[in-house]
Amino acid sequence: MIKSDDLDPNFKYEISKEPGGENIKKCFNCTGCTVGCPLTEIDKSYNPRRILRKALLGMRKEVLTDDSLWLCASCYTCYERCPQDVKITEVIGAIRAIAQREAKAGIIKINNNKPVFDNLFINSVKSNGKWYEAGVSGTFMLKTKGIGGAIGYAPMGLELFKKGKLSILPHKIKGTKEIKRIFEEVEKK
Amino acid sequence: MKLAYYPGCTLHGTAREYDASTKAVCKAAGVDLVEIDDWNCCGALEAIFDKELSMGLSARNNFKAQKTGLDLVIPCSICSHNLSRADTAMKNDEAFRAKIERALGEKYNGVNIKHLLDVIINDIGTDAISGKFTKSLKGIKAVAYYGCLLVRPSEVSKFDNPENPISLDNLIISTGADCLPFTQKTKCCGGNLLMSKQDYAFILTKRLFDEAKAAGANCVVVACPMCHMLLDGQQAVIEKAHNTVIDMPVLYFTQLIGLAMGLGEKELELDKNMVSTSKLIGSIGKGETKVEVKAQIKGQEAEAAQ
Repeated sequence: MIKSDDLDPNFKYEISKEPGGENIKKCFNCTGCTVGCPLTEIDKSYNPRRILRKALLGMRKEVLTDDSLWLCASCYTCYERCPQDVKITEVIGAIRAIAQREAKAGIIKINNNKPVFDNLFINSVKSNGKWYEAGVSGTFMLKTKGIGGAIGYAPMGLELFKKGKLSILPHKIKGTKEIKRIFEEVEKK
Repeated sequence: MKLAYYPGCTLHGTAREYDASTKAVCKAAGVDLVEIDDWNCCGALEAIFDKELSMGLSARNNFKAQKTGLDLVIPCSICSHNLSRADTAMKNDEAFRAKIERALGEKYNGVNIKHLLDVIINDIGTDAISGKFTKSLKGIKAVAYYGCLLVRPSEVSKFDNPENPISLDNLIISTGADCLPFTQKTKCCGGNLLMSKQDYAFILTKRLFDEAKAAGANCVVVACPMCHMLLDGQQAVIEKAHNTVIDMPVLYFTQLIGLAMGLGEKELELDKNMVSTSKLIGSIGKGETKVEVKAQIKGQEAEAAQ
């Protein structure tokens, strides 16, 4: 049962202030996003219509801690088909941003590994200007699957290395200072 | 034709054969590519939870392209999506433009950005490019796989139909290869979940192969390094996880048209694909052309034009 006392009526405004989340209030819950979703096809627990409805109702904690929030593959099918131009793929991104901030502040716990990988990726871009595939993938395996996982990834890494497709060391661009300034400017909000 | 060129991280790594075949095909077609100086990562889809960061990182490359005074061509669907989206935001969102101009200390005017497939189909033109073909690829039975960001969202990618694109189908047909009907052509391969939810990514990719095989294809043709990473790079792992045999070469469209241009296998780096392409190349000139399939695709084209 949903208790109105537990709802946060400001949640939808909070999302709409986040870059990408601006159009959430346009959603009229037609389910067009969900019927064409490739992830919903293989896992019914991922239901973008339900995420949007809960967010609009103000079920803040439930939306932010729902593991299925991290199942969107950013394929943009719902974004393309939405009759209300909600820009769902980016709304999901906006909700993920709030969830990550809450997790960082220790208010909620995220059990999915998607943000672990995404942040390793972005940090590698922050320091090098390019993504450091071997380092990021190796660290991710080690962090999420332990030493066994990292060893399990090694044969694939070796195959790629033999084909000249994987660099052991990161490639650093010359303009890393400019990259840092971009990070600083967008963090100002 | 002279164009600024943004390869993106993967084309200097796991998708090196896409870089090599892009350069080879463009050279043969008389297109001069000028790689932009000191480019950076576009943020890929990993920065989707921080839209401004994703567009800010992409915008720095647009500034670099602007300096060349040329239009910008991008072979990667994700990079092309991100840089195009950043260009629109820089033109229309004053607050965002102010932030990025402050960070980089330059004024932004805008760049014309296109995916490589768009350039080949619409700027060079299918007729002009097929005029360079010296060899029929009869024997190759392909499905055209567009994936997601090559054609979606249509507010960013405007060159083909987002639900039933046909540009790549027609390019394949122009090589003399068969292009088979493929209802999965714009279904997601799950690439973005490869690290965090590998089992789901594998289910999504395997579905593509199931239909490609049922259609009678002997290869899949793609225009995105992320799609290629799943379909080609992970194919052996998917076979193991699903206890099945897929054995399906996956070519970049530049490798396919390079073969039709008579370019060498080394030049197109066909030995860099993870799934061996040698049997497929051996089949060229040996297959029977299915005329009725071609007629069907041409019919779809007429329907879309109406």
